[in-house]
Amino acid sequence: MATMDGRITLVQESRFQLTDEAGVSHLFTLSPWCAAEPAQLRPLAHSQAPVRVTYKAGVDVIGQVAQRIDVQAEAGR
Amino acid sequence: MNDHPRISDFSGSDLDRMIPDESRFTAGVLIEPGKSYGFFTDTTVCIGCKACEVACKEWNNLPADHIGLTGQSFDNTGELSANTWRHVAFVEKSGCGGVRDNSEAPYQSGWLMLSDVCKHCHNAPCLEACPTGAIFRTEFDTVVVQQDICNGCGYCVPACPFGVVAVSENDGKAHKCTLCYDRLKGGLEPACSKACPTDSIQFGELSDLQARAAVRVEQLHGQGVGSAYLYGTPGAPGATGGLEHLNAFFLLTDRPEVYNFPVAPTRASNRVAPSLLSGLLTVAALATAASFILSSRDR
Amino acid sequence: MNEPFVGAPEIAASLKPFAIYDGTTYYGRQQLKPWPFEANVVGGYIFLAGLSGSSQILATVAAATGRRELDGAVRRGRYLSLLAPTIGSALLVYDLHTPKRFYNMLRVAKATSPMSIGTWFLMGFSAFAVASAAGRAGADRWPRQRWMKSLSTAAGVPAALAGSGLCTYTAALLSATSTPIWASAPATLAIRFGSSSIATGAAALALGETDPAARAKLDDVQLCALAVEAVLSAVTKGHHKRAGVEGAYDSLPGRIEQVGATALGVLAPLGLLAATRAMGRRPRAASVAAGILTLLGSATLRSSMLSLGNVSARRPDVSLQFSTPGNLPEVRG
Ligand code: SF4
Ligand code: SF4
Repeated sequence: MATMDGRITLVQESRFQLTDEAGVSHLFTLSPWCAAEPAQLRPLAHSQAPVRVTYKAGVDVIGQVAQRIDVQAEAGR
Repeated sequence: MNDHPRISDFSGSDLDRMIPDESRFTAGVLIEPGKSYGFFTDTTVCIGCKACEVACKEWNNLPADHIGLTGQSFDNTGELSANTWRHVAFVEKSGCGGVRDNSEAPYQSGWLMLSDVCKHCHNAPCLEACPTGAIFRTEFDTVVVQQDICNGCGYCVPACPFGVVAVSENDGKAHKCTLCYDRLKGGLEPACSKACPTDSIQFGELSDLQARAAVRVEQLHGQGVGSAYLYGTPGAPGATGGLEHLNAFFLLTDRPEVYNFPVAPTRASNRVAPSLLSGLLTVAALATAASFILSSRDR
Repeated sequence: MNEPFVGAPEIAASLKPFAIYDGTTYYGRQQLKPWPFEANVVGGYIFLAGLSGSSQILATVAAATGRRELDGAVRRGRYLSLLAPTIGSALLVYDLHTPKRFYNMLRVAKATSPMSIGTWFLMGFSAFAVASAAGRAGADRWPRQRWMKSLSTAAGVPAALAGSGLCTYTAALLSATSTPIWASAPATLAIRFGSSSIATGAAALALGETDPAARAKLDDVQLCALAVEAVLSAVTKGHHKRAGVEGAYDSLPGRIEQVGATALGVLAPLGLLAATRAMGRRPRAASVAAGILTLLGSATLRSSMLSLGNVSARRPDVSLQFSTPGNLPEVRG
């Protein structure tokens, strides 16, 4: 499955926007099988923690479906 | 302070905080818990710009869906869905068939447009049907699906008499318009009504909106639009069968079906008791018959 | 089409201009949304719920007669009722779009939601059915332990009561929606589902019955239930006509319902059982054939009725006709 690294910049319910290293934003929604719950997204957005999202393409939408969200170590800043 | 929870998301803003109770300035209404709020959609001034659809998608972070062209007038949205909570319907009534009309009766008589949305029914069938309690009535008298509770059973979908709520294939939960629950909590009017450039969508306290709508119908009748009527106010079409009234109601100038609205929808839970009782009586009667048959001797 | 309602005093003045539906649709797009289920999965659950509930009811009734030749039927009834708590529940969870949250069904109990009512029927039924089956298994294994059989019999009573809910609430589940085919015949659909359930219970118990006298009795119960169902399938269709939604029958699920569920699944076993009963000779082969037809017919009824409902939800001409003022409860009565 594809992965994307970035930071969560917007959260609405189970939908979130991931802004990648190039500054491009992508729309995601949580898969029903994803261990992360919607309530965990907002803290991730507030802390601006770097995350890696494992995803599949969404059905009938311009957006991705997140299967897994891993918090990454902050790369030496 | 009255800071909206989203304020920290917009670090670029040059305001150091939200305008408190912004809705007073944009919609002329103070948003307070415990009162009823809704939408009055006046279709006679809709210009079909779809600003409401865009504003909704932007605020709610909803993905574009049903990609493609329908060939149905300017309506490429098609219908309300799990990812589309405002839908502008386009009905071309004249000028079709190769002949262009030279004159038209007032107020978009030839091209009807309507921004459809969840009706936030007073006795909402989706809410009554939901077996997990995910759908609830908020302090603003609106109907919202709690995303952390819904398990995607899908039972709210056939319950809705307006075909509004839908389950997303992508996240397995039911979605529909929340009447911008988060914005209301932050003192902001909903995104769609704020964006609507003609005030076709008006947000406000329900009793105010209903009074305003009644005046508008009178005014239109006076101006020669005799076909104007309200859909979803008490006693009107759309508010039938125990639904009482719709918090999001409409001013229409043609039959409800033209806009894909049912004339006389009903409250689905009306049918629970008659169905359960007749079923149980049947089983009781057949069990009694069975006890006679099974205990008989002479066989 | 409906008979005209213009001028009927019961219709509110605001609805009168729209009393007769003129066939308008919005580009033929659906006005309602179909229930996003897999018809065979949910249909399978409804079938198993009916079979389990009615097996338990018949086992309890049979146990109450105290007749020795029915003891085998009692045992099989107790075991058959385990189908709903096991396979049935699994099918239900499988059909959720977020299965890991199935337990959220247990956080509320709502009288307006047949799905919530049914959840609690299933919970209650499962607890007592498992107790009853376990008691029976224990009694068969250790015949000296009399209390085990008493436990099985005692637990069977509440299980049978919950079972009557379990084998009929599924009709309310369908009717308490806005889907035209289900919503236009709430009472008759429930009677049909209830009698179909009892027929399957009797059929399943008769299939395993070796004692001819007991089998004849079970066949008579099945005959009774099938007769009710045959009448009600006609009445239900009549209600669909009256509400103006019979157009939905012009579809594959409609034909399956008419031919598979009603003709082959009800009328055929009904005729077979009635004929053998009238002849006074009741060969086991006829009983087995009738039982299999009844079971297949009931399963077909459930899944085709689910699909047929969704056909009616997708057809705007059907749903808009259904929501004309003439179909309002206060007008229709
Ligand atoms: S319009 Fe449908 S989704 Fe909206 S509140 Fe009413 S029943 Fe629920
Ligand atoms: S899909 Fe979700 S919101 Fe709809 S009835 Fe089921 S649990 Fe409730």
